[in-house]
Amino acid sequence: MLSPIKVWRNQKYIRDLLGKQGAVVSHTVIRVAPVGFSAQAPYPVVLVKLDDGTKVLGQVVDWEDSHLISGQRVEVVVRRIYTPDSSGIIPYGIKFKPL
Amino acid sequence: MQIGILGGSVSQFGELWQVSPRFLARDIVGQAIADSGLALDAIEAIYVGNMLSGMLGGQENLGAFFAAELGLRCPAFKIEGACASGGLAVHTAINGIRGGMYKTALVIGIEKMTDYGSDEVAAALMGAGSDEERKSGITFAGLYALIAQQHREKYGTTEQQMAAVAVKNHFHASLNPKAHFQSPLTIEKVMRSALVADPLKLFDCSPVSDGVAAVVLADESMSKKRAKPVWVAASAVATDTLSLTARHDLTTLQAASDAARVAYKQAGVTPNDIAVAEVHDCFTIAEIVAMEDLGFYEKGKAASGIERFETMLGKRKPFDSAQGRPVVNPSGGLKGCGHPVGATGVKQIVEIMQQLRGQSGKRQVPDARIGLTHNVGGSGAVAVVHILRS
Repeated sequence: MLSPIKVWRNQKYIRDLLGKQGAVVSHTVIRVAPVGFSAQAPYPVVLVKLDDGTKVLGQVVDWEDSHLISGQRVEVVVRRIYTPDSSGIIPYGIKFKPL
Repeated sequence: MQIGILGGSVSQFGELWQVSPRFLARDIVGQAIADSGLALDAIEAIYVGNMLSGMLGGQENLGAFFAAELGLRCPAFKIEGACASGGLAVHTAINGIRGGMYKTALVIGIEKMTDYGSDEVAAALMGAGSDEERKSGITFAGLYALIAQQHREKYGTTEQQMAAVAVKNHFHASLNPKAHFQSPLTIEKVMRSALVADPLKLFDCSPVSDGVAAVVLADESMSKKRAKPVWVAASAVATDTLSLTARHDLTTLQAASDAARVAYKQAGVTPNDIAVAEVHDCFTIAEIVAMEDLGFYEKGKAASGIERFETMLGKRKPFDSAQGRPVVNPSGGLKGCGHPVGATGVKQIVEIMQQLRGQSGKRQVPDARIGLTHNVGGSGAVAVVHILRS
């Protein structure tokens, strides 16, 4: 169950990452998804090293197979990240857009 | 003080829908105690290795739960460290005896997983990862896929080489009546199986299993009364970042190589002395990385060695320390024997104990005198290495 307090507390983290750019370090495509993510499968998840050195994990949006290579440039965007649970809170988080 | 392993037992691993955890544990603990030659009331402490009883089963307080089930009122604890829970429970029990608190200890590793849907199990297992990892929608197969992808780019590791790990471990499992999988696999069958998290396919992944394992440990004076004691030569634990993201190098699990280095020093042995090893092959790539982290192969060389089946029973020559390759995962490993997460680390100890006693039947490694176990939690956040000797 999503907690509104936890959502509020984590907002800063999301805001700090938005618009940052970086390059893909490693990648996979998730075909068997955990609870809440099944509707999106299959979806790629990539480990990205941002230009400031921070490493972040997230899904790729608007993707094609050619984007799933090491070194692919991406930008951090905000998206709904999984299907809302019975708390009704829409869970937003970060994903990556290929450049 | 030396710590001895007096007895142990492992249940059937697999989809055990007809039996509850409490009955399964009672049965296997009874066998382990009988094997130890001790009376049940000689047990002075109980350590339970388990990860998911709370998240999946809604049952916490497992120490008291199993003590009561056995009719004991001794100190009892649940030890949790994701898929390393079992190994950590063994380590903690050893410390309890070594510290002089208890003369004997019972360790139970247990997990009941097949009562739940695969999406529920996938989400619960992600409890071993970080919040950031969970929000990305990645699974454990996905985390190890990121490792596999890097290993492939850096060392040229191929999908066929990963498949060879599954083929070897299924062959071993076919010799182990307790194993989840009883039939051998071929490279082609692994390669044709459905993708789970690219490049990992269904047969690159260990299964979701139910199972229990138990061991009885005792201090030096009690252990010396046994005819064939197996001794704990080393027990070492190391930790690393919870999140894979924070690691400098994805192709090694630093916690595993740190724990191994400490364990080899404690035991006064080198990787060349190990005749048999049970390692944490939750995914095929994990065994390749483990071979390198444990020093059995140089970095980047394990995959081709495994593809030549150098670590398979029957392929390896009678033990020769100059050759320096152990038989790896004679039980079938997590891949073939199954992976009830909390039970795995304890099962590894029972397998090596039986190998060192010469009780492993068709899968007996000839002349096994020193064996090693390698149990990993999360994507390398915690690792436990034990070295046992006869």
